[in-house]
Amino acid sequence: MTRDVTLSYAFGFVQKKMAASSGVKVPRNFRLLEELEEGQKGVGDGTVSWGLEDDEDMTLTRWTGMIIGPARTNYENRIYSLKVECGPKYPEVPPTVRFVTKISMNGINNSNGMVDARSIPILAKWQNSYSIKVVLQELRRLMMSKENMKLPQPPEGQTYSN
Amino acid sequence: MAENSGTDPAVETNTEENAAASATIIKVTVKTPKDKEEIAIAEDSSVSQFKEEISKRFKANQDQLVLIFAGKILKDGDTLGQHGIKDGLTVHLVIKTAQKTSGGGSSQTSASSGPGPSQGNTDGSANSSPAGNLGTPQGSGPSPTPTQPPNMLAGFGDLSGLANLGMGSANFMELQQQMQRQLMSNPEMLSQIMENPLVQSMMSNPDLMRQMIVANPQMQQLMERNPEISHMLNNPELMRQTMELARNPAMMQEMMRNQDRALSNLESIPGGYNALRRMYTDIQEPMFSAAREQFGNNPFSALGGNADNSGAQPSRTENREPLPNPWGPPDTAATTTSGTATTTSSTTSSTTPSVSNPLGISSSSLGNGMFNSPGMQSLMQQISENPQLMQNMLSAPYMRTMMQSLAQNPDIASQAPTPTPAPTPTPAAGTNTAQQQLMQQMLQMFAGGNASTPTPEVRFQQQLEQLSAMGFINREANLQALIATGGDINAAIERLLGSQPS
Repeated sequence: MTRDVTLSYAFGFVQKKMAASSGVKVPRNFRLLEELEEGQKGVGDGTVSWGLEDDEDMTLTRWTGMIIGPARTNYENRIYSLKVECGPKYPEVPPTVRFVTKISMNGINNSNGMVDARSIPILAKWQNSYSIKVVLQELRRLMMSKENMKLPQPPEGQTYSN
Repeated sequence: MAENSGTDPAVETNTEENAAASATIIKVTVKTPKDKEEIAIAEDSSVSQFKEEISKRFKANQDQLVLIFAGKILKDGDTLGQHGIKDGLTVHLVIKTAQKTSGGGSSQTSASSGPGPSQGNTDGSANSSPAGNLGTPQGSGPSPTPTQPPNMLAGFGDLSGLANLGMGSANFMELQQQMQRQLMSNPEMLSQIMENPLVQSMMSNPDLMRQMIVANPQMQQLMERNPEISHMLNNPELMRQTMELARNPAMMQEMMRNQDRALSNLESIPGGYNALRRMYTDIQEPMFSAAREQFGNNPFSALGGNADNSGAQPSRTENREPLPNPWGPPDTAATTTSGTATTTSSTTSSTTPSVSNPLGISSSSLGNGMFNSPGMQSLMQQISENPQLMQNMLSAPYMRTMMQSLAQNPDIASQAPTPTPAPTPTPAAGTNTAQQQLMQQMLQMFAGGNASTPTPEVRFQQQLEQLSAMGFINREANLQALIATGGDINAAIERLLGSQPS
């Protein structure tokens, strides 16, 4: 990461601490920087991972995510790659999420992997305290639901062509 | 000129490792869903070096390791620096289990909708798969062994695919092996095949099914030894039910499960254990051997041995423990019984087990055994050698109508069933007539049974007369009943009596 970004991160951190206590909306970049750090530190149980798609991306818009398929489902042992796009209004609006690895799951468009925001609860009822991590974890949780866990899956390693 | 090539760039990996001390060492946390380890590695290492360290620490093969950092998979050729991996950061690790193909295997098993699987993938690498869905108690996962039998069922599902390769490829055996492999590995494909109207119509014709089963020499042997089996075969209701099952893998699984449960409960009934054993050794074993002879070992062969060891005294209480996973790794595969009870041989209790799957026809084993007859192969040969026939088959969506026109053209129709003289792989000439009959019926069935075939009326002429002599005047109903029972007068009468308005 360039020094500029790191510096702005440092400032952002302080600002966020103040903002959180006073209820002010947190600026987008600071939030995303925080998420970036979390992604690199591997917060959580290690079943999801996320990071910038391009390290030089100053706008912090395009992210890649990874979900490890939960055990005892048809997604087991597979690694699902996703693209997450945090628009300019993030985190007030939810990010757009798209699967790169082919998957068969309710709420995921079969032909291009787009996640339908209306079918995924936290995307439909987005709050600005949610984050990329939360989205990935939720998708993983949905993989374990009765309606999804036994869906026959395409052969491993296939991706959507776009 | 140096004999010691220690500084040779070709062995730079070694030197780099030795020189690791000179680069900055960073501590990277490697996290699996279960575990966490801190690994010290040089900052400028490559991913493969990192994996080497990891494989030592986690005691796994380097090939099984998949590393993820910040949402990206780390490829062996990359360096840690490329991904921005620094001191104190966490990398996620997934250890792939042995039965899958190694990382990100881009298999080209594309299941085309319509006429079954296409044969684009010739190396037939098996996919990781919930192979258990197929309801076949196979041992290990679908590892491609060259001795795997041809799968005629898949062959029927994709005649057009065959045509693409039929001419040039080695032999049909191999083709079908591959198809079978793919089939086994991809349940989705299997269900697609099942949905193929061709397969379905084939399955819904009990006569045809029966003939096919009978044509298998092992089956014939089996039938001689156990007349009960031939009874079963002749009971169309049963056949229908079984085929219905075979068509629907999910239902099949369910049924098998119920069977297994019922059977295991049977154990606790006095004398039940012996009945089970008898049932198994007399019927199940040879049947399964016949049906799955080349599927690797008979998964139940060890069961006989185990049964002895597992104690002469079965517990008197109901068996509540979960059944062992029949589709697990090979060493555990032997300890399962699959429900294939025959009505007449379960003497202890007449209520259980229900005869839902008497022949143990699993959707995939159908391809084996039954279809593995020379007649089928020569049919395939026919098709590939007769371009017109093949042409017809190629236009898959119109296959039915094509077949119909085919059947209407008597020349081609008669040409097809006749095995060509020399180049057929068919060994036994004695089976020819049976095969011919079979094939003829097949074609008729394909064509949807048009006028050139003996209609049920004609076939059941004699029975119809008998029925009307007995006083069943409703010819239509008689005919229906006869068709339903496959010509069995007694059963037809029962049917008629049962459905008579009071």
